[in-house]
Amino acid sequence: MTDATGRRAGRVVIGTLGLDQHEVGAMAISQLLVRHGYEVVYLGRFNTPQRLVTVAAQEDADIVGVSVHSWEFVAYADELLARCGDLGIGLIFGGSVLTAQDRSDLLARGADAVFGPYASEDDMLRQIAAIVDRVRASPAEARAADACAADARATRESAAGPLSGRVFIVTGAARGLGRAYTRELCRQGAAVVANDVDEAELKEAASAVGDGPGRVHPVACDITDAQAPRVLLDAALRRYGQLHGLVSNAGLLRSGPILQLGDDDLRLVLDVHVTATFRLLRVIGGYWRAEAKAGRAVGAAVVLTTSAAGLYGFRAEAAYSAVKAAVAMLTQVAADELGRYQATVNAIAPAARTRLTGWLGDGPGGPDRDSWAPEHVAPVVAWLLGPAAREITGRVIEVGNGQISVPGSWRPGTAYPLPPLMSPAQARTLLPQVLASAGPLPGLLTPDTALSDRSGLPRPEQERPPAS
Amino acid sequence: MTGFRSAAGIPLQPFYAPADKALDYSAIGDPGTYPFTRGRLRPPHAGSGGWIQRELSGEGSPRRSNEQFRSLLAHGALGIDVIGDNPTMSALDPDHPMCVPAVGTTGVSLCRKRDFIELLADIPLDRITLSHSLPPAFAIAGQYLAARDSGLDPAVLRGSAIQPPLYSEDCSYSTFLPFGIRMRLTLDSIAFSLREMPRFHAFLEDTYYISDGGLNVVEEMSLGLLEIREVCRRLIARGLPVDSFAPRIAILVNCRMDLFEEIAKIRATRRLFARMMREEFGAADPRSWSANIAVHSSGLALTAAQPANNIVRGAVQALAMAMAGVQGLEISTFDEPFRTPSDIAHQLAIRTQQIIQAETNVSAVQDPLGGSWYLESLTDELESRIDTAVRQMEKLGDAGTLVESGYFRDIFTNAMDRHSSAVQQGEMRIVGVTEHVVPPEADRFLRDVAEVRFEPDYAHVERILSWRRRRADGPLRASLDRVRAASANPDADLMAPIVAALDADATIGEITGCLREGQGLPSDPFEFAAQSPVAEARR
Repeated sequence: MTDATGRRAGRVVIGTLGLDQHEVGAMAISQLLVRHGYEVVYLGRFNTPQRLVTVAAQEDADIVGVSVHSWEFVAYADELLARCGDLGIGLIFGGSVLTAQDRSDLLARGADAVFGPYASEDDMLRQIAAIVDRVRASPAEARAADACAADARATRESAAGPLSGRVFIVTGAARGLGRAYTRELCRQGAAVVANDVDEAELKEAASAVGDGPGRVHPVACDITDAQAPRVLLDAALRRYGQLHGLVSNAGLLRSGPILQLGDDDLRLVLDVHVTATFRLLRVIGGYWRAEAKAGRAVGAAVVLTTSAAGLYGFRAEAAYSAVKAAVAMLTQVAADELGRYQATVNAIAPAARTRLTGWLGDGPGGPDRDSWAPEHVAPVVAWLLGPAAREITGRVIEVGNGQISVPGSWRPGTAYPLPPLMSPAQARTLLPQVLASAGPLPGLLTPDTALSDRSGLPRPEQERPPAS
Repeated sequence: MTGFRSAAGIPLQPFYAPADKALDYSAIGDPGTYPFTRGRLRPPHAGSGGWIQRELSGEGSPRRSNEQFRSLLAHGALGIDVIGDNPTMSALDPDHPMCVPAVGTTGVSLCRKRDFIELLADIPLDRITLSHSLPPAFAIAGQYLAARDSGLDPAVLRGSAIQPPLYSEDCSYSTFLPFGIRMRLTLDSIAFSLREMPRFHAFLEDTYYISDGGLNVVEEMSLGLLEIREVCRRLIARGLPVDSFAPRIAILVNCRMDLFEEIAKIRATRRLFARMMREEFGAADPRSWSANIAVHSSGLALTAAQPANNIVRGAVQALAMAMAGVQGLEISTFDEPFRTPSDIAHQLAIRTQQIIQAETNVSAVQDPLGGSWYLESLTDELESRIDTAVRQMEKLGDAGTLVESGYFRDIFTNAMDRHSSAVQQGEMRIVGVTEHVVPPEADRFLRDVAEVRFEPDYAHVERILSWRRRRADGPLRASLDRVRAASANPDADLMAPIVAALDADATIGEITGCLREGQGLPSDPFEFAAQSPVAEARR
């Protein structure tokens, strides 16, 4: 973000220290700064000096601002002053318990400004602007050298990659696609809160990500638990301070014709694919809405998981096809709803060799030789979560087995006038006509057609991939 | 827009006359009769009015706080209000690395059974009420065990414990527990208290702490009633008859500086509570209809500038609340902007209450302002606004979802921003801040008291550390296993295992850790802080 003169806006990291839970002052000053064109990196409660300053370094912030409502600041002030001094960034204290004596003490020890209760806004803004100027005027090389000395440097280096500094939740991350997504997001520098119901497998998957520039924080819980979205959101916020995106990937399959699939299986399929996804959108969307309303929209992105089964139907998989169709439509409506909070919502219809596609059989082993390997899908998900896809929302992307495409969606058919209180005779004439105008019904997928490039399915000419 | 408005934005007329407010006395009612506009049901043996005079206390170790209690009682306090320090309010132990700098500085440090025993040693628990501003399940368990240890039947205990399941995480009382567990702790501790401590108000709805960040009276009471309704529905769903618990509900409200609005708020709340209990929850016992309301005067209304002015603010607020007919009163002391109350501030606040009670004759007549065209009009207006706000929120979805979605957090955030802006823009007048400001050198009076600080109680941390090493291991571990198992089982009662664990010398921090583990969460909420954080947090 830059101002009218093209200068980058002042950037301030704000939080409270230790167990000082009185956050209202920090929130109020953050809103004030945002209104006046600053970028605020809001860290909320329960910070240590190390956390505040590490984030400030990583964010290239100009100032650390600490809101003080308990005497704990006394215990942390020296460390905070030293760390900010090392980095050459500004340090401000503000809060109701700060006395005139505190003010002179802290200023003497190197704080840039100290604001007591009901400090004048004009005065605060003037001083903060001056501190930003001073910090930026200090030699960049010297600041960089200082930063190298601090542990911030390690953090910054480790955060290299197109998704560096972004935080995502991936559900169903222990195996298959979710595991491939987690690995790819980390490879591109993101921090991932990886979720799965299988704790052992999840931990193994998290440790297997290795030393990539990103990081993984495994959180095992059942995504159908009503608390799960909150638990995952809290984990992201507590561990990484923010959440930029969600990949709702957890899935399972209960196969069977309608006449055989029992209630328990039906409920489970609905819960995992529809209810859990809906809840994730509600809880995490609610958080992004709050952020946007507070002037801190994060530019978030959601990737949901539908399936060719949900788009075209799959023989003898009515439940699975129905829930995946639900997710496809959820994607469109959620995109509209969350768009106002600067969040995009897209879905992926992956074709990959996972536990859900056991009928594919074993692959040749390794993504190099297997076009059905989940690793081929992961870069598409990473792209949808990244800066290049900010304008893309409400879309389904079908990807896997060496192909990628964007399927069309339901469109209105040719409209005929509806006779009022139509007689049976009129219906006999009209309805065959209307149905004929819709053309033939596309066939359902079967294991055979799904394995092919689906050339048996009607596909409008203009949506064919360009020949390469 | 010309003309005045109340603090909550209600347009006010220059004066009120019979034409503005046709009084329907049947809708108001006598004091002590439905719908209790003019005052709650009084027990037949109640004397000539009056209220429980108490002050917020708790500082340093349990022993030091015990001395503070005795001093207050010696000054004539009729009850005790105890608050924990930041670690205790967070359900963490004082020897946790994040806690040490905060031990005892903003309240008492409590983490084990012996702390409660020391805190309450020789306090006449059978004669005074003990109001806990502490994590409620532990407050109730601690008082229960301390009473039992001193040979007192827990059935005689009186007092209250705040139940904050909806708002604690967003309003400075975070215990790092998921909503489901917070709600279970509320329901289980209320059920425990009804069984074991039937005279105790185990369901204190505290609208003070949620509202003192700048909420107005409509926001305050609608959120309070919303939480009461949510907890009541869940208690009823568990099979408890409404008349078994409704008489044990109490409300602790805020009192800011718009005095008529605050008085009208209390009258409107009594009426809303009565209607809700009788007409919606079907309570048949008149004690269930009659709200028991205590007040803590606003700390936000006090200023760090010219702190002596706060004594005057406390006095006028207390006078208004006496006229509103509240059951208990705590004045935020003049040094509140700086610290928990000093000895002299405690004494002054108790004396303020005593002067109002003894010298002004204000409590000789109940609801002395009743029938005022202005007050009755304001009462009706607030009743309608609060009721509408509750219904609107209930339409948005169930309370748990609103908690999760950050709906309430938005309200709290916006309130403080609104308050700051109003002060900065001069819409809200504060003597000593927006007008009649004096230079620092002329603002020294009482600062020698207000600005005194003391060190965290490191000796208490050492005491806990050495005690922890000497505890018997076996029963302790088994009792914690039972807490963990109960947490994991959504149908299990949490209170019995918590009381047993505290009794077996488990600490509050350990028990809360097991509650988290039972939910699949890390035992230590600061696990993230121990490792190098990679927090990209642009907002």
